[in-house]
Amino acid sequence: MSRATEDEGQLVAALVAGDRAAFARAYQRYNAPMVRLASAILRNRASAEEVAQDAWVSILKNIGTFQGRSTFAAWVFTILTNAARSRARRDGRQVLFEDSGEGNSLADAFDGTGHWKDVPALWEEVTPEREVEGRNLLSHVTAAIDRLPEAQRAVMILRGQQGMEAAEVCAALGISEGNMRVLLHRARLALRGELDRLLS
Amino acid sequence: MGIGFTCKDVAERANALIDGELGFADRLKIRLHLAICKGCDHFIHQMRQTKALIRASAAMPAEEVPPAALDAILARVARPEEEPEPKPDG
Ligand SMILES: [Zn+2]
Repeated sequence: MSRATEDEGQLVAALVAGDRAAFARAYQRYNAPMVRLASAILRNRASAEEVAQDAWVSILKNIGTFQGRSTFAAWVFTILTNAARSRARRDGRQVLFEDSGEGNSLADAFDGTGHWKDVPALWEEVTPEREVEGRNLLSHVTAAIDRLPEAQRAVMILRGQQGMEAAEVCAALGISEGNMRVLLHRARLALRGELDRLLS
Repeated sequence: MGIGFTCKDVAERANALIDGELGFADRLKIRLHLAICKGCDHFIHQMRQTKALIRASAAMPAEEVPPAALDAILARVARPEEEPEPKPDG
């Protein structure tokens, strides 16, 4: 069964045919999040950009082997993650995505009996285009993801933004499913906290 | 531990709930709590909106692609057997 969408199928076919415009579209769509993810793994922007370029070379050289068993995005980000992790190893850096215990944004939200101290209010007019503090909500979301601790950021990019399956994310990052859930939980709470600040 | 969930219990399970990973018993306890607690109802709604905005942010239009960036990659792809990339001054 193919999980790649029809849209993706056309993109992949065009890439296999060596269509430059298709490559430009794929690059425009995926390069920025690839660099952001590699930055979370390598903690270095210049290395992240090099690794993203290496990944593109590998993607184009191997596009003929993509069979649609995962989404194209999952395939792309798995190649990127592998490249970033092996680069980190070559640089003598260990890549660990353990939950650091950082950033439980609800730590202070409840009283001794487990009730809300400040009861959450409904957000009004939540649309992607909504402008707050000079930019739209989606770019606030991306900026807030980039401020997360590295492990949460990596999970959020792969699972939250790119929509990869839990098992694909765990395999790509080399973490357990339980660990991934904790990281995703904390990251989403942090994002909700940021949106609450903007929208309440 | 009371029989029902507190707001804190609900909030801790909010992600599992919206991701469809919660068992029947916990789902039922949450539903009972939400029926009497506006705050948690709002919180769950906010978490769903957060999840949707995160997913939507992936499709945000990116900047223009510099043609040189594409050329550099295509040139490397065209090279038959790629040697290890020379590192910019080691
Ligand atoms: Zn409640």
